[in-house]
Amino acid sequence: MTIKKTMLGTLSLLALTASPVLAEGTINVLTWEGYADPSFLTKFEETSGCQVNATYVGSNDDFAPKLMAGGGVYDLITPSIDTTKLMIDLDFVEPLDTSKIEGWNDIYPKFLALDGIQKDGEYYGMPYVWGAIAFMYRDDAFDTPPTSIADLWREDLKGKISLWDDKSAIYVAARKNGDMNIYSLSDEQIEKAKQSLVEQKPLIRKYWATAGELVDLYKAGEVVISNTWAGYQSSLLADEGIKVTEFIPTEGAEGWMDSWMVVKGSPNKECAYKFLNMQLSEQGQCGVANVNGYSVANAAAAKSCMSPEQYAALHQDDPDYLDSLLIWQSLGDRFEAYTNAWNSVKAQ
Amino acid sequence: MASIIQLENISKHYSPTIIGVDDVSLTVEDGEFVTLLGPSGCGKSTLLRMIGGFEEPTAGAIRLADKDVTFDPPYKREVNMVFQDYALFPHMTIGENVAYGLKTFKLDKDTVRTRVKDALMLVGLYDKLNQRPQQLSGGQRQRIALARAIVRRPKVLLLDEPLSALDAKLREQMQIELKHLHEKVGITFIMVTHDQTEALVMSDRVVVMDNGRIAQEGRPQDLYDHPASPYVANFIGTTSFLPGKVSALSGEVATIAAGGTQITAHPNAKLGEGATVTVGVRPEKVKLLAEGEAADNVFEGTISEVIYYGLGLRISVTLADGSKIDADTLLPDKLSHSTLPQSGAPVRLGVAAHNVFVFEGTVTP
Amino acid sequence: MSFLRRNLPSMLVMGIPLMWIALFMLLPYGIIVTYSFWLKKYPTFIPAFQFGNYITIFTDPQYVRVFLRTLKISVLVSMASFLLAYPFAYYLVFRCRSVALRTWLYMAVIAPLWVSYLLRAYIWKTILGTEGVLNSFLMSLGIIDEPSSLFLYNQFAMVVTLTYIFIPFMVMPIYTALEKIPTNLTEASADLGMGPWRSFWTVTLPLSLPGVAAGFTLTFCLSFGDFIAPFLVGGPDGNLIANVIATQFGAALNWPLGSALAIVMLVVVLTIVSLSDRMERKGMTGGV
Repeated sequence: MTIKKTMLGTLSLLALTASPVLAEGTINVLTWEGYADPSFLTKFEETSGCQVNATYVGSNDDFAPKLMAGGGVYDLITPSIDTTKLMIDLDFVEPLDTSKIEGWNDIYPKFLALDGIQKDGEYYGMPYVWGAIAFMYRDDAFDTPPTSIADLWREDLKGKISLWDDKSAIYVAARKNGDMNIYSLSDEQIEKAKQSLVEQKPLIRKYWATAGELVDLYKAGEVVISNTWAGYQSSLLADEGIKVTEFIPTEGAEGWMDSWMVVKGSPNKECAYKFLNMQLSEQGQCGVANVNGYSVANAAAAKSCMSPEQYAALHQDDPDYLDSLLIWQSLGDRFEAYTNAWNSVKAQ
Repeated sequence: MASIIQLENISKHYSPTIIGVDDVSLTVEDGEFVTLLGPSGCGKSTLLRMIGGFEEPTAGAIRLADKDVTFDPPYKREVNMVFQDYALFPHMTIGENVAYGLKTFKLDKDTVRTRVKDALMLVGLYDKLNQRPQQLSGGQRQRIALARAIVRRPKVLLLDEPLSALDAKLREQMQIELKHLHEKVGITFIMVTHDQTEALVMSDRVVVMDNGRIAQEGRPQDLYDHPASPYVANFIGTTSFLPGKVSALSGEVATIAAGGTQITAHPNAKLGEGATVTVGVRPEKVKLLAEGEAADNVFEGTISEVIYYGLGLRISVTLADGSKIDADTLLPDKLSHSTLPQSGAPVRLGVAAHNVFVFEGTVTP
Repeated sequence: MSFLRRNLPSMLVMGIPLMWIALFMLLPYGIIVTYSFWLKKYPTFIPAFQFGNYITIFTDPQYVRVFLRTLKISVLVSMASFLLAYPFAYYLVFRCRSVALRTWLYMAVIAPLWVSYLLRAYIWKTILGTEGVLNSFLMSLGIIDEPSSLFLYNQFAMVVTLTYIFIPFMVMPIYTALEKIPTNLTEASADLGMGPWRSFWTVTLPLSLPGVAAGFTLTFCLSFGDFIAPFLVGGPDGNLIANVIATQFGAALNWPLGSALAIVMLVVVLTIVSLSDRMERKGMTGGV
């Protein structure tokens, strides 16, 4: 009986979650680590008089549940382009007054053209940073550098392969199967991708769930090849003295882009827009590029605040690179088919 | 009668200073009921546990039916123990408890059933066969514990304070029952108790222990009538002690100055004239003398206290030299307050010479 | 009025816990049960009353498979904990003569409970890893030539880690149960002719069963609901039911299915708890 009570008690405790406190001149942002880094945020707080409280997410899947738990907590969020549409459809975010955002027109047109951040002719997301879901290998493990997604299915690499624990695994497997319409796969194509992933499963050391986890897996010598958030984990590994190389496989890579969105009913509009302006300016754009190693959305700002080397390394001057990426899209009502297939792979 | 147990110079020293049992030798005859008597901490339980095999002596040997069992574990000895709080297995029925000890004998089912039945019939609880120990009263559990031990037909049955957990009335009844059981089964019983009445009522022989050693052993009435020391005299029955001095000796008879008078006694030990002694007198052997009534020894004093205990009175008397002596007296047939002894009244007490114990030295028991 | 005044204290005494139960137990469960009948519909889910979620759980093999896997892991963890904890507790209660050593050893098992769960799981990651402590040790002994990847990121690692983390919950009830067995019962058994082994099987073990049952229940239920060990030391085949539930509430945004899974899981756990409750009570009537 006591056991029963204790367990039920614990479960009910878990049902309660703490929430940040609201205050005048304070904005609460729900974002990725590095997007509100003190290296450029402190200055903003001093000059604007706005306090910023940052809560970090580990995955795009965190945004919806956190906002569903109740409104009025967060003012700004940064979902990726596959999740922005969901935020709009869930009515969690409000249209942006782009006239209040300086440098809006310097954003890559390709991003402004994306469906995921607009609805009924209004913008809901301000493109911020972007990158590729590239692939990565440990230099000392390969005589001939891998070039294809198929290398993640190689028997001789058994127990040395990792893959992101995300529905994007379906995208990877589909491309391996030659299905390039990865955001509009048919049920048959998804089933085929699922089968490929099931085949691959015995070769997998571990599916990585967080950026830090993948870094640890490389560091501990557990893994030699995987997909990666281009620019981020490789630089962390370089800091550890582990030589890895990123590559875009012949099957192409997905691209991602994160946008700032204003949560519906946010009471701190003034600070929110000050914050958006800062993030799109050189201060925010180079700030985040220096912290996370991601490419940024404001081409003009990047050009003026980056060194030519960094500018080139982040593909800011390379429209072909950007065009080659299969930028994530909202899956809409196909979302469930993808996640279900991926869950089913993991259940095997 | 052949001896069944021989203890040869048994000692149990926990450390050089902590001594449980010190150089005890004892022989128990087959079929005897022997009681180890003493206060707690005197080593009686330790001695019993060594016979049972639950503890090993640090010196000496234990023989059971002429076989050295000193270091045999309990399950290899043909002795069985009735534990103080019975130690019945709570997860087994009464029948299973009693049958438990037969498992190692590899008997067929019918034999087991018969023997369990016999043992339970013996203690009058066969109807409880399928009940659990928790459902029984203290006295019933006690009997089950006996049945469980006896069913194995051990050479010796050890009983560790078997009645101490029972209330007074039940205890008296069980004393008699145990004695009868002993007579019926004919097994040697060795019992440990701190209750002198238990010891006197039930045993053929009582071994009084003191500080790990045997103070005295013998038949109950011998111990009662001839205690070897003030310790024994005080432990078995009640004794008033008076300091004294031998004033004259003539053969077996000694004249001793004690209690403000000269008394005669028959001391056991050889005493010298002028020796300091302690005189012991049991209250029930002291007689209140009527006027002019004579006795071997007569003490004069004043009544300091009168205690009524139903069966009679205990009268405390302060003697001329300030020492105290108790006298028990049965109540007269026709109770009359005027004839009852009153506190503060002068009194004469008579004690027969053969009822005076004489111990060497001064003792404060 | 006088009725109120007379009964107010007792109403308060009873009322607070009742409100607590209502607020923190019944309400959350009520919500979960309600959700479990709802329907997934983009972008989220809509109120409904249908059993589709439950039907999915029992027809889609992925859920049954994960349930069975979770069951297997939990049973293995409970078994491993039992096999390690019992001799340990037995030693502490019956064989360890030094009180100081006994206290020390007992604390050594209990103390990790005060250390963060995550930290303890991480420790096993460093021990079992390809370049971890265990591999270095085995290589230094010459037992293996090159580091083995067999220790980490699989179900073995999960069982080891969960056993380590939950073993205090097996040791404590067994220790308590053994300590409650009067020594004179084992002495009586020896006295009645039973050697140490048979005494153990016929007296000590049966009398400690309530503790064993409690230990099994605790370790089983704790393992059954675990989702961190699969995440930290489990491999690709390490998904447990709690991970699936977390996914349904997070990535899949399918709270109705997640709720239904949680309810099924709760039913499994409550079944185990009441079974063991019954066993303990049975042990109690036969107990000391």
